[in-house]
Amino acid sequence: MLSLLGGIFLGWSLGANDASNVFGPAVSSRMLKFWSAATSASLFVLLGALLQGESGIQTLKGLTQLSLEYAVACTFAAALTVTLMTLLRLPISTSQAVVGAILGIAILNRQLNLQGLEKIVACWVGTPLGATIISIAVYKILAALYNGLRLNLFQSDSLIRICLIGAGLYGAYALGANNVANVTAVFVGAGHLGLFSALLLGGLSIDLGILTFSKPVIETVGRKLVRLDAFSALVVLLAEAITVHIYAFIGVPVSTSQALIGAVLGVGFVRGVRTVSKRTLGHILTGWFLTPVVSCFIALVLAFILHLQYMPPK
Amino acid sequence: MLKFFFKKQQQVESLIYEYLGTLKLAKDNFHDAIYACLASPGVCDTFDFLREQTHKFESKADDIREEIKTLMYGKALIPESRGDILGLLEEMDRIPRLLELILRMIETQKLVIPDFIVEDCEDLIEISLESCDFLFKEVEALFKERKEIRALVSKIDNNESRCDHIERRMITKIFDSDIDPFQKLQLKEMVIIMGEISDQADRVSKRVHIISLKRRV
Repeated sequence: MLSLLGGIFLGWSLGANDASNVFGPAVSSRMLKFWSAATSASLFVLLGALLQGESGIQTLKGLTQLSLEYAVACTFAAALTVTLMTLLRLPISTSQAVVGAILGIAILNRQLNLQGLEKIVACWVGTPLGATIISIAVYKILAALYNGLRLNLFQSDSLIRICLIGAGLYGAYALGANNVANVTAVFVGAGHLGLFSALLLGGLSIDLGILTFSKPVIETVGRKLVRLDAFSALVVLLAEAITVHIYAFIGVPVSTSQALIGAVLGVGFVRGVRTVSKRTLGHILTGWFLTPVVSCFIALVLAFILHLQYMPPK
Repeated sequence: MLKFFFKKQQQVESLIYEYLGTLKLAKDNFHDAIYACLASPGVCDTFDFLREQTHKFESKADDIREEIKTLMYGKALIPESRGDILGLLEEMDRIPRLLELILRMIETQKLVIPDFIVEDCEDLIEISLESCDFLFKEVEALFKERKEIRALVSKIDNNESRCDHIERRMITKIFDSDIDPFQKLQLKEMVIIMGEISDQADRVSKRVHIISLKRRV
C-alpha cells in the first residue's frame, strides 16, 4: 500500500487542479453548488476511468520496463515536479510530469520505446493546437444552431446553463478516461496492480482530489473563464472535453489545462479578440518544456538514490 | 424535473412581468393626474389622489425590483443575464421616479400650466407615455419573442425626436410669454423633466436592443 502512496498523491493533485477545468464556470457563477459539481464530477471521472482509461495505461506502461521501486520513483518524481511547478506558478501538466519521469527511468534502463514516445510527444504538440481547431469548429457549429433557435433571454439562459453542466460532466468523463493512466499506469507496468484495480484506484484518487481540495482552484479558474461570455465559456469547455476525449481514444494522457488554453485561443480567433495574453502563453511554453525535463531529472536522481548502497569502511 | 431545476428563474420571470404591470399602473395614474391638473389648474382632490396612487405604484415597483435583485443574487440565472437584467431594471426604474417627480413639482410648487402650452403639454405627455408603452412591449419581447424589438426601438427613437422638438417649442413659448420670470424658470424645469421621460425610454430601449443583440453569437 505504501508503494502506491506516490500514485495516490499524484491522483489527488490531479483531481484538485483539473476539476476546475471542467466545472469552473458552473460553480464560480453559482449555477451549481460546489458539492453537487464535485460529487457529479467524481462520479463521471470514475466512469471515464473505468470505461475508457485502459488505452492510456497500455501506452504508458509500454514506454519502458519498470520494477516496483522504479514505479514508485516515477510517481514521486512526477508528484514532486507537479508541486515544484505549482510553487513556481507555472501551468502543470501531470501527463508531462509522468512521462518525463518514465523517460528518466527508461534512460537509466536503456530501454525506451521510441515509437511510443514519438506518439506521446506528437500528442503533446497536438493538444493545444487540436483544442484551438476544435474550438473554432465547435463555435461555428453551435453559433449557427443557437442563432437559428431565436431564443428569448430566459430560454437562452436555461439552454446555456444546461449545456454548461452537460459539458462539465462530459469533461469530467474525458478527464477520467484520459488522465487515469498518469496515476497508476506505472504500477501496472511494474506488475504491482491489475488493470481493473489500477483504473479503480486511479479514478478514486482523482475523486479524492476533487472532493477535498478542488474548491479554491475551481473558484479561481472559474472566475477567469466566466470573464468570457457564457456562450464562449461553453464552447471552451466542450472543445476541451472533446480534445481530451479524442486523446483518450488514441491512448495518450494529455493536459486538460493546455487543452483549455488552446480552446480559449480558438474562441479568441473566431471573435477577433485576444483572449490569452503573451505572458500567459510564455508561462505555458515554459511549463511545457520544463515539466518533462525536471521530472526526468528528479526520477534519475531518485533512481540513483535507490541504488546507493552502504559500504562499511574496511 | 426541469421546472424544479429552473424554479428561481421562473420566479424572476413572473416578478419581472409583475414589475412591468406595476409600472403600467404608475404610468396610467400619472396620465390621469396630469389631465386632472390640466382640467382644473391648481391642486385638486382628484389630482392628489392620483399623485398618491402614482407614488404607491412607484414604491411597489421599487419593492418588486428589490425582490428580483435578492432572487438573482440567490443563484438564479447565469451572471451575464443577471447583470443585464439588474442593469435594465435599474434604468427602467428612473421612469416612474420621473413621473412622481413631475407630480410632486406640480403639487409642492403649486404649478399652473398656462393655456398657451396646454396643447403642447398634452402632446408631450401622450408621446412620452406612448414611448413607455412601446418600451414595456419591448422588454416583454426580450423575454418572449425577440423579433419585435428592432421595430419598437425605431418607434421609441422616433418619439424621442418628436418630444425633443415639442420640448424646445414649449420652452421658447414660455420665455416668449409675459408670465412672471420665476414662473418661467419653474415651468422650464418641469418641461425638461417631462422631456426626460422619452429620453429615458429611448436609453432603456437601446439597452434592451443591446441585450438582445448580445444573445446572437
